[in-house]
Amino acid sequence: MVPVDDIRARARDLLQSGKVRAVLGYRRGTAGLLAEPAFMTTAEETAALVLDPTCVENLALYLVNEKKRMKHARQSDRRPLGIVAKGCDSRAITVLLQENHIRRDEVVVLGVSCEAGGMVDTRKLNKALRGKVATQVRFDSEGDINVSHLGGSTTLPARDVLANRCLECARAYPLDADFLFGEKVEERPYGPRFTAVAAFAETSREERSAFWDAHFERCIRCYACRAVCPMCYCDECVVDSTSFIVGPTTTADEKADRVRWINRSATRSENAMYHMVRAMHLAGRCTDCGECERVCPVNIPLRLLNTMLEREALEMFQYTPGLDAEQPSLISSFRDGDPNDFVR
Amino acid sequence: MQNAAAARHDAQEFEPKVVAFLCKWCSSAGSDLAGVSRLKYPANAVPIQVMCSGSVSPIYILSAFNKGADGVLVSGCHPGDCHYLKGNYYARRRLFLVQKLLQFVGVEADRFRMSWVSAAEGAKFAEVITDFVNDLKALGPQTKLKANR
Ligand code: SF4
Ligand code: SF4
Repeated sequence: MVPVDDIRARARDLLQSGKVRAVLGYRRGTAGLLAEPAFMTTAEETAALVLDPTCVENLALYLVNEKKRMKHARQSDRRPLGIVAKGCDSRAITVLLQENHIRRDEVVVLGVSCEAGGMVDTRKLNKALRGKVATQVRFDSEGDINVSHLGGSTTLPARDVLANRCLECARAYPLDADFLFGEKVEERPYGPRFTAVAAFAETSREERSAFWDAHFERCIRCYACRAVCPMCYCDECVVDSTSFIVGPTTTADEKADRVRWINRSATRSENAMYHMVRAMHLAGRCTDCGECERVCPVNIPLRLLNTMLEREALEMFQYTPGLDAEQPSLISSFRDGDPNDFVR
Repeated sequence: MQNAAAARHDAQEFEPKVVAFLCKWCSSAGSDLAGVSRLKYPANAVPIQVMCSGSVSPIYILSAFNKGADGVLVSGCHPGDCHYLKGNYYARRRLFLVQKLLQFVGVEADRFRMSWVSAAEGAKFAEVITDFVNDLKALGPQTKLKANR
């Protein structure tokens, strides 16, 4: 992992010289093992900045939130926001740039490479520790992770406790950074991408159907997956028609004209609709930060849906989201050679 | 309790509901031609005219399944013949992904279909519908995405 002192120094510089209005990074969390996102607005605060395998959250989400907040607060400070970005965060930022949701001069990207590392999956970690409570996690030499816990420490192979998305990450460093910390490592030691998707796609239709039925049955429609996703930034979502208010003067016609695409009830069919619509809306946009899956309280394997479309986009359309803010998006472009044999 | 013979009888009786999104300029005109040419084809498809196959959002398809369709067809002009020049190319890419997603969650591949039918292809339109309805009859009713609120 990259020396965190360099990042602190850079963040301090940016704040001291007034080039940014805040730096968005991580600091030690107060609950549990994971680092928590932090807005640092003074040079002193940067001393608390950390970077280790517990910085799992996708900070690009806070760019989206901050934009909303700025709009409502009618704030006039137009200086850019500094942001510490891993490879996956930076790809998400690129998608936001590509969609003109933010402008490049609104952010100063302090890019950090994960090098051969990555972020831990606390579920895997808890399992591996068998009840012991981890207090600190850091990378050892050569693909090992050292976990301190109450009454000792344990060394575990990184591939056993890294988040799945990190095991499959193809570019563990930011492509578009104003400052880059760490090495651009292309080759990562964790094996091929899309292993879970490929294996699942091989199973029979009945198995796939039963698998998703069981999961869609369990979704409680808390929308945590939507809330945590930096790409889910629409003001109004198709699943909750907030702007349509039925009052005493609403006519039957108006009610009938209003298409209710998806009902809110947490039943299998409606949940399937929600997840499929969400997957389609994220096709070519999801940069596989894995946050949706991590925050799901009932462990629905959402990455499986998203990475499946990511694989199709790569294999059929040679498209990878988040590489280039100038390229047209996946479904706003086409090529003559796109697959045609499925059309009759 | 149903015996096997009655079950077979039911299977024969099953008339699939098809929602067909037809582009105004080609496929819809093709379906008109099939009609005025008095071609015989199953009456299971509810045609919905759209301005272009490129205007078919994935949610139209999912919603049709949700509202009880056993199969959904999207039909547009042949590549190169789009009234809006490239709407059908966008549709092809987008609906390819929809199709993959449907299959991935376990919907039978035969329940969703896309075709190119020009205004001159009344016979082809009849054939597409006939094939689709036959395939759907073999599959039986669609329950996976059908609303169960
Ligand atoms: S869908 Fe999930 S993995 Fe993809 S960008 Fe959103 S939160 Fe990240
Ligand atoms: S998938 Fe999980 S996080 Fe998303 S709405 Fe359902 S229960 Fe909530």
